[in-house]
Amino acid sequence: MAIRVNPEFINELDRFGAEDVQLCYQCGDCSTVCPHADEVYRFPRKSMKLLQMGLEQKIETTLEPWLCYYCGQCSEQCPREADPGETMMSLRRWLISKYDFTGISRAFYKSRTVEVLTIIFVAILTGALLLYYGFTNGNIGIYDGEGAFLPSHFVHRFDLSVGAILLVFLLINAFRMWKMVMVRGTNFPVPWWLYIKKFYQLPWHFFTQKRYSECEKKRGHKIYMPWLIHLGLMLGYVTMLVLVMVFVELLQKGPEIRWEVHVFGYLATIGLLAGTIYFIRGRFKKHYIQYKKSHGTDWVFVILLFMIVITGISQHIFHRTGLIEMANITYVIHLMSAVPWLLRMPFTKWAHLVYRPLAMYFASIRREAIERDTAVKELYPLVIK
Amino acid sequence: MENLRIGVYICMCGTNIAKIVDVEAVAKFASEVPEVVLAKSYKYMCSNPGQEMIIQDIKENNLNRIVVAACSPNMHERTFRSALRIAGLNQYLLEMANIREQCSWVHSDPVEATEKAKALVNAAISRVKLHEELESVSARMCPNVLVIGGGIAGMTAALELADAGNTVYLVEKENHLGGNLARVDLTAPYLYSARDLLTERITRINNNKNIKVFLSSKVTSLTGYIGNFRAVIQNLVSIQEGKTRDTEVEIGNVIVCTGYKEFDASRIVHYGYGKLPNVITSFEFEKMLRAGRIETKEGKTPKYVAIIHCVGSRSQEFHSYCSRVCCMTALKYAHEIKSAIPDCYVSDIYIDMHAFGKGHEDFYRSSSQAKTLFLMYEKGDRPVIHKAGPKDDCGMLIEVNEKLSGETIEIPADLVILMVGMEAREDAYEVARIVNISQDKEGWFIESHPKLEPVATTTDGVFIAGTCVAPKDIPDTVAQARAAAARILARIAKEKIEIDALYSEVNPNLCSGCRLCNLLCPYSAIEFLEDKKQSHIISALCKGCGVCVAACPSSAIKGRHFTDQQILAQVEGLLAEKL
Ligand SMILES: Cc1cc2nc3c(=O)[nH]c(=O)nc-3n(C[C@H](O)[C@H](O)[C@H](O)COP(=O)(O)OP(=O)(O)OC[C@H]3O[C@@H](n4cnc5c(N)ncnc54)[C@H](O)[C@@H]3O)c2cc1C
Ligand code: SF4
Ligand code: SF4
Ligand code: SF4
Ligand code: SF4
Ligand code: SF4
Repeated sequence: MAIRVNPEFINELDRFGAEDVQLCYQCGDCSTVCPHADEVYRFPRKSMKLLQMGLEQKIETTLEPWLCYYCGQCSEQCPREADPGETMMSLRRWLISKYDFTGISRAFYKSRTVEVLTIIFVAILTGALLLYYGFTNGNIGIYDGEGAFLPSHFVHRFDLSVGAILLVFLLINAFRMWKMVMVRGTNFPVPWWLYIKKFYQLPWHFFTQKRYSECEKKRGHKIYMPWLIHLGLMLGYVTMLVLVMVFVELLQKGPEIRWEVHVFGYLATIGLLAGTIYFIRGRFKKHYIQYKKSHGTDWVFVILLFMIVITGISQHIFHRTGLIEMANITYVIHLMSAVPWLLRMPFTKWAHLVYRPLAMYFASIRREAIERDTAVKELYPLVIK
Repeated sequence: MENLRIGVYICMCGTNIAKIVDVEAVAKFASEVPEVVLAKSYKYMCSNPGQEMIIQDIKENNLNRIVVAACSPNMHERTFRSALRIAGLNQYLLEMANIREQCSWVHSDPVEATEKAKALVNAAISRVKLHEELESVSARMCPNVLVIGGGIAGMTAALELADAGNTVYLVEKENHLGGNLARVDLTAPYLYSARDLLTERITRINNNKNIKVFLSSKVTSLTGYIGNFRAVIQNLVSIQEGKTRDTEVEIGNVIVCTGYKEFDASRIVHYGYGKLPNVITSFEFEKMLRAGRIETKEGKTPKYVAIIHCVGSRSQEFHSYCSRVCCMTALKYAHEIKSAIPDCYVSDIYIDMHAFGKGHEDFYRSSSQAKTLFLMYEKGDRPVIHKAGPKDDCGMLIEVNEKLSGETIEIPADLVILMVGMEAREDAYEVARIVNISQDKEGWFIESHPKLEPVATTTDGVFIAGTCVAPKDIPDTVAQARAAAARILARIAKEKIEIDALYSEVNPNLCSGCRLCNLLCPYSAIEFLEDKKQSHIISALCKGCGVCVAACPSSAIKGRHFTDQQILAQVEGLLAEKL
């Protein structure tokens, strides 16, 4: 069945950051330099073409955007300045909005104002809720234990409910992704046991971000700096999430808490801080091609993250130096930035954390399914060499 | 009979000849042949001292025939002829024996090679004895020029020649000048208006007293030879009226600039040209652009325009060549459509984008920037145009197996433009016959050398320029027209043309008037003198090929410098028993 081209689609992608796709003349240089492209997953060249033609239903089912780590080598190589790296990034943004069933993601990407207003709204709501609770149930002069302004069991419950909301969104979206990619996007049988056989891919990619390091390898760099920072930031983030969700009561206790919690807390903070500073610097200096164009939502992301880290640290310092009232106020501000930031996750860039390992997992299932399927082999003559 | 005094020179060609052929033995052999005054061997005969030696010997020994046994006459006959001239001897009293290409290079046995060299030298000596003094003739060069075809090529050439003060007869079969360019709106890639390019030229031609324009006219005959042609120009309007109004003109050179015609799009059935009203050719679209109104047959502004490339070009069924201008013309349409209807979507369906010329790649880029959708189809797998259904927001749907994505897609279209290729004109054969030039298998006129002589033909004095040679764009067309004009101006400046002495002659005492030779001459050099009922060879046209000499049943034709006697003497010399 012929698919109808949609010449308007390219204009829509414009808003997700793919401003130069139309310049691509399909020379294929980008796919040649890309460390991750191969015979089965031909990108970014082919993704550029699908995008130019506006084959929306087709792009929805592709995994290629997730296989790109935005090392930028393709964009450096492109003779037409079509910026394939940025296009892949934009496709990821677009896919996130496609997986998202609420439409929030779409609204955020299309208008920064909507995003900022939503964040402010959620922040104020959080602040109001916390202050109301604090002033009616506790004392601003007490940080932890009996009569505390924000007692840790309350914060824990609060965290868990935010986490639950987050999880629901993410699970639903991940399910939608699976349906698009593995059900609608396959015209070949995918044996169920492949899901089990390939399951290790999920934690493997989540915790190592190994493919990112391959970008650096191809460039010939000795130290894989962006990868290290990326990994540090990601691990810091995950550790912090676990600490907050599970151990917040311990965290809040003060000096007498278990040393492991301390160590993890500090390590995670360092990871987050270093990563954030590195990225902010990168976006200002634009020394890597992937930072040349920052989408509005990228900025909101880093600024919020920076706020969280700073307020988190200062709250800790105030607490330890005995400035309890200050500590409680900063705690409120900390949560005011953390909650919208967390709730933003399924709708924006940080959804990467979930979608990318999932995509790797699906991609390896797909690859094997393709290789197994003799009928499909004819469609991919290069695979059977 | 004159007293023959022959000098023979055997060249060693470094070691090229000497390493196989015993040149001393050959020289000794030659010196013993009767009437040979001297025979010498030398390391390099073609070198200055070598030539000097010949000149010196001619003067000192009163030599009157020279044989040089060396390389092929193709290499150095001219060199040694000039040595003879310098020494005051007629240059045709020379004969060369090729003992390099025909002997030392192809043999390995020194004894036999030396014997063969002796035979070749003996043949040359026998032949040279019969050589006659010949003089090359010169003819007048008429400065008038005939230009056939009044397109951009013909007009440019005519102006170039007329501005230098020569009379030009410009013959155009239509009732106006301009050719195909008169049907074009803006030109790629710089978007100059074709109208502006043409009006400037047409005005200058009309104001130039040296140019006589014959509109609605054709050349019906061309006789004579370089420098001295006569052409008959026939007025086509008067023919229709049942009269004849022919003009006869005298010219020295001809430039053929008859251009091209467009491919007939209805030959590709599944494009539906002629059946689907909104499938049009590039020329029909140019017409819309010139009128300043892009619309469908129903008078609506199109929302989707699709352009299909290579219609009739680059296919085994029709023409295998590329028409060279349609890719850029298609991009030009994309530009013009976008600027006239900004929210119109343009799809450009191509095989390859041929953007090789100056400024073309940038033009391609800027069309991409304007969000033209480029789609690639496989040569043998043409797009198919269907009528759209009632629910579609477009008039037609084009199905394409898009090569770059591997997807089968459907492209909406309200207007489809077919980029028809260029073809040789129907009457190209007629023109070729009249001016005596050849055509290739596609009907384009053939240049005498595709690299080094792009505007000359095998007929001296007849040049070709522009798209009658092969598809090309305006800059290339104009360059060729100016090149042809420059070639002619150089000849006019010389005032006379030299005609090589090696032509054939009819002996009027022997010619029976059978006219056999008239039909055979590949250069149309033989005319029949009706009054005398005999054939006559126009020396300026004759290339001395010898076809007529061999064919003449009355042995009435003599090929100068290739007489029967000379050739037989050569054969006898070669086969002589005792060497
Ligand atoms: C749709 C289209 C768009 C184009 N756009 C561009 C462009 O944007 N830029 C560009 O560089 N090029 C363009 N071209 C190419 C351009 O048209 C040609 O390069 C140019 O017109 C060639 O000129 P010409 O004089 O060789 O031939 P022609 O224009 O064909 O002129 C030949 C003339 O000879 C006359 N003639 C033919 N036979 C005889 C005969 N037997 N006796 C007397 N007269 C005769 C014809 O009537 C005609 O007037 C385009 C071509 C097409 C098809
Ligand atoms: S290198 Fe640039 S122009 Fe070439 S295919 Fe890739 S994106 Fe397109
Ligand atoms: S940015 Fe790097 S990983 Fe992504 S497509 Fe380009 S070359 Fe490949
Ligand atoms: S110029 Fe372009 S459209 Fe024309 S024949 Fe050549 S490739 Fe085809
Ligand atoms: S630049 Fe050379 S290699 Fe590249 S497309 Fe043109 S002709 Fe081919
Ligand atoms: S020698 Fe050849 S060219 Fe000359 S008249 Fe005879 S056939 Fe023609």
